[in-house]
Amino acid sequence: MRKEWLSRLRFFFLLAFEKNKRQGELDEELQFHLEQATLANRAAGMTQSEAHRQALVEFGGVERAREQCYEQRPGWRLGTVAQDVRYALRGFRRNPVFTITVIATLAVGIGATTAVFSVVDRILFRSLPYAHDDRIVSLGLVQSLEKQEFTLGGFFYEWRDNQKPFEAIASQGTMLHACDLVEANPAQLNCIQAQAGFLPLLGISPVLGRNFLPEEDRPSGPRVALISYGLWQDHYNRDAGILNRLIDVDGSPARVIGVLPKGFELPTLQAPDVMMPLAIDEGIERRSSPGHPMRTFARLRPGVNIAQARAEMEPLFNHTRDTMIPAPLRKDFHLSIRSLRDRETQDVQWTAWILLGSVLAVLLIACANVASLMMARGEVRERELAVRAALGASRGRLIQQTLTEAALLSIAGAAAGMVLADGLLRAFVAIGPTGIPFLKRAGLDSRIALFTALLSGLCGAVFGLLPALQTPRAAALAARATRFRNRAVLRRSLVVGQIAISMVLLSGAALLLRSFQNMEEQSLGMQTQGVLTARIALPGFRYDTGQKRMEFYLRAEAALRRLPGIRAVSFTDSVPPGGWNSGFRFSELTASGKPRPVPGSGGSVASRVVTPDYFRALNIPIVRGRGFTEEDRNGGDSFVVLSRLLAARMFPGEDPVGKRIQKGQDGPWSTVAGVAENVKNNGLTEQDEPEIYFLRRSAAEDWGMPAPVMIVDAVLPPKTVAPWVRSAIAGIDPTVPVETETLAQSVSKLAGRSRFETALLGFFAFCGLLMAVIGLYGVIAFMAAQRTQEIGVRMALGATRLDILRLIAGEGVRLIVLGGVLGLAAALGTAQLLKSLLYNVGSHDPMLYAAATLLLAVVALAATLIPARAAMRVEPVVALREE
Amino acid sequence: MPPSTDLLQGTLDLLILQTLEPGPMHGWGVAQRIQQVSEDVLQIGQGSLYPALHRLEYKGWIESDWGSSENNRRAKFYALTATGRKQLETELETWERLSAAIALVLGRNAEASA
Repeated sequence: MRKEWLSRLRFFFLLAFEKNKRQGELDEELQFHLEQATLANRAAGMTQSEAHRQALVEFGGVERAREQCYEQRPGWRLGTVAQDVRYALRGFRRNPVFTITVIATLAVGIGATTAVFSVVDRILFRSLPYAHDDRIVSLGLVQSLEKQEFTLGGFFYEWRDNQKPFEAIASQGTMLHACDLVEANPAQLNCIQAQAGFLPLLGISPVLGRNFLPEEDRPSGPRVALISYGLWQDHYNRDAGILNRLIDVDGSPARVIGVLPKGFELPTLQAPDVMMPLAIDEGIERRSSPGHPMRTFARLRPGVNIAQARAEMEPLFNHTRDTMIPAPLRKDFHLSIRSLRDRETQDVQWTAWILLGSVLAVLLIACANVASLMMARGEVRERELAVRAALGASRGRLIQQTLTEAALLSIAGAAAGMVLADGLLRAFVAIGPTGIPFLKRAGLDSRIALFTALLSGLCGAVFGLLPALQTPRAAALAARATRFRNRAVLRRSLVVGQIAISMVLLSGAALLLRSFQNMEEQSLGMQTQGVLTARIALPGFRYDTGQKRMEFYLRAEAALRRLPGIRAVSFTDSVPPGGWNSGFRFSELTASGKPRPVPGSGGSVASRVVTPDYFRALNIPIVRGRGFTEEDRNGGDSFVVLSRLLAARMFPGEDPVGKRIQKGQDGPWSTVAGVAENVKNNGLTEQDEPEIYFLRRSAAEDWGMPAPVMIVDAVLPPKTVAPWVRSAIAGIDPTVPVETETLAQSVSKLAGRSRFETALLGFFAFCGLLMAVIGLYGVIAFMAAQRTQEIGVRMALGATRLDILRLIAGEGVRLIVLGGVLGLAAALGTAQLLKSLLYNVGSHDPMLYAAATLLLAVVALAATLIPARAAMRVEPVVALREE
Repeated sequence: MPPSTDLLQGTLDLLILQTLEPGPMHGWGVAQRIQQVSEDVLQIGQGSLYPALHRLEYKGWIESDWGSSENNRRAKFYALTATGRKQLETELETWERLSAAIALVLGRNAEASA
């Protein structure tokens, strides 16, 4: 064995030096020296052989001197690296199971981390695509019905003129809106308005042409437009002559003055096709309060932070609020200044952190596993290393060798990880919800690759250094047993750490899973199966009056009702349980004969304007009185239906049917026709709001904006009905685009974020558990193998097989219990972090923790019992003869 | 294998350069000369002599050439280069400053500083 190693090492040295042209020269030089020394010794009276021996003794290690001479050569280090690489590769080839296990483990750890990082990078870290993005803020008012900052004309001009903390301030319109490009090749586009100062504030300049001039940003200024790069490319074939061309937007001409940069996005994360000047009348805005609503952004002066800006803006805000907002409403308005990153991604930042944290935990487990494997390998190779040390390899040189192996493994792991990350990312995008910004565009670019490289370097350093620090000195040749003990301690603690981390991941996944289940299984108060929604986008310039729109919709309704298997067809402005719906303050409703409520009080009320079949289409029970009838549609009386919640609040202990209520100070009075059962109407996880249904009558004024959504309840599956709906509508006007979706789909979308979080965390918990269990198995199996002889002795002395099983499994159980307890404590400590993601689950739900613990215990015990049973089967005679 | 006499870091380089100052010499000669001149106090471990010679050569302070030894054997002779000569001056200065300083510390401000 030893001889084999020696020859192998000799070969290894020769290999390393064969390129050295000076080898012969050095040999000759040293030879000359030795001859001279021998001659000198002979002269002193020694025999030839004694003289030669003495010369060698004086010289010291020839081999060592030779090596040191080589080490003087510039670039020697590099040579040794190449040599280490060759040596490591040979080692890996000899032990493919080890190599593949390590690379696969690393690939899972690095791949998952890379994939998650590429998703959260844009949310948390990557700079936003604007100049001085860290100083741009969103600024404005917030109130209970609108949580995103907005300003109103009167506020904006007062603030702009009197503020100090910002060096620039400008607004865009409140939202992207549909507009029509009217020409030979018509298209429906997204338009936005913005002030002349808006693009300069963001540090964006058009790639072609110019930004708006101040005189164009006035009500009577020339009508000009900036178009998006996409529109320029797809619609105008990148025609450079687009500048100064007149295009017809919504029926009136606008002159194209520039093209926006590729991929330009508003700070509200929307991509407009056409941008036109906001062109509001400053004079009128200043006089009229509150004025034109808009989204305002500003750039902080250098050195001013958000808190300071807030403090400076507060008096100005108070002043404008007190002059422009009626006293009763004032206390509902607050000033808000947020960094642009928060404005864009605040609600998903927490999710991003949780996902990043969990995936890093998985990576940690993977690294610990690889470290453990490397250490096990190091133990097996201890003799080899000891021989190399004895032959003069320095400690640094051995560490370098181990680190080279680690580096090679992590490079391979990183490469495999990138491939895996690409696959995972596709999976993320496929199951990803719409609510996570940038997800669809997440990709593996150079920045992500750099991150992966850093990550694998770090990982390699960890699992390379841990075993390297234990590189044996020459003494290890003799004293082996004690060293095993020390190392086993380190490996055991790694396993305990792994089990603890998987416990945290498992319980986190259990909490999310339960929460997701709660969300899916809750009663929505309406049916979703077999219900189809159809959104019909009527081009505004052709259907320009309420009358025309109503005629279209009523014809569509009639056409659909004639189809077989259709139970109900209804129009509404919005569909529960989530998404947009109109609403107003509870205090705006007055019941006849009761005092008007205090303005601004009572929270908000959801409202929908529906045709009579609405309740039938969604199967919402009418619990009192009646719903709307077909006759009501043409009748002169105005009827409303209240939700049970609203009825109870407005008419506690009374029968609301027949009562009269009024919306607003001088709105029309309506009669309560009936009370409908409550419906989940504020998303899946929020508290329900009281709801009021207004009747959508067959009168032109009831068919304004927003465009109604059609709800179809059919006996047949929606898959079959959807094409019928399309063709029925095409039969009326073939140019109208129709988007259909089943209600089950849109509800499922609302739970998408929760599903995404649950799936990811579940996947991480699974990977973490798997790796921890493999680590546990490895350590127990290794220790059992080390103790084969001891087991033999014990059995020879009378220990039963059960005793042996207990001995080995007991080791595993200790690790599991220790890891489990530590993990449970950590999980309970960190569960708080998940709180905001949970729905109807306590973050310390004992059942879930018990389930997670049980799962971990069962799997981990199984991993312990396999090697323990193998140890139990050891034949004492064989064991004693070993070695 | 450590050198038989502990020399200060860098001192071996200085000794070699100084020994080569009069003219080219082979490795064995350098070792012998240092030993003789120092009256056997400084015994250069050959184990460190050759690495040092190679190091100095890579630095460009000395150059080597094959020649015949006194007893007509092929031997590698080392000679100072121009840079080496300059380096020797610098190192001598440094050494003198250093030894003077050490002498001061040891309380023997004797001839060493002269």
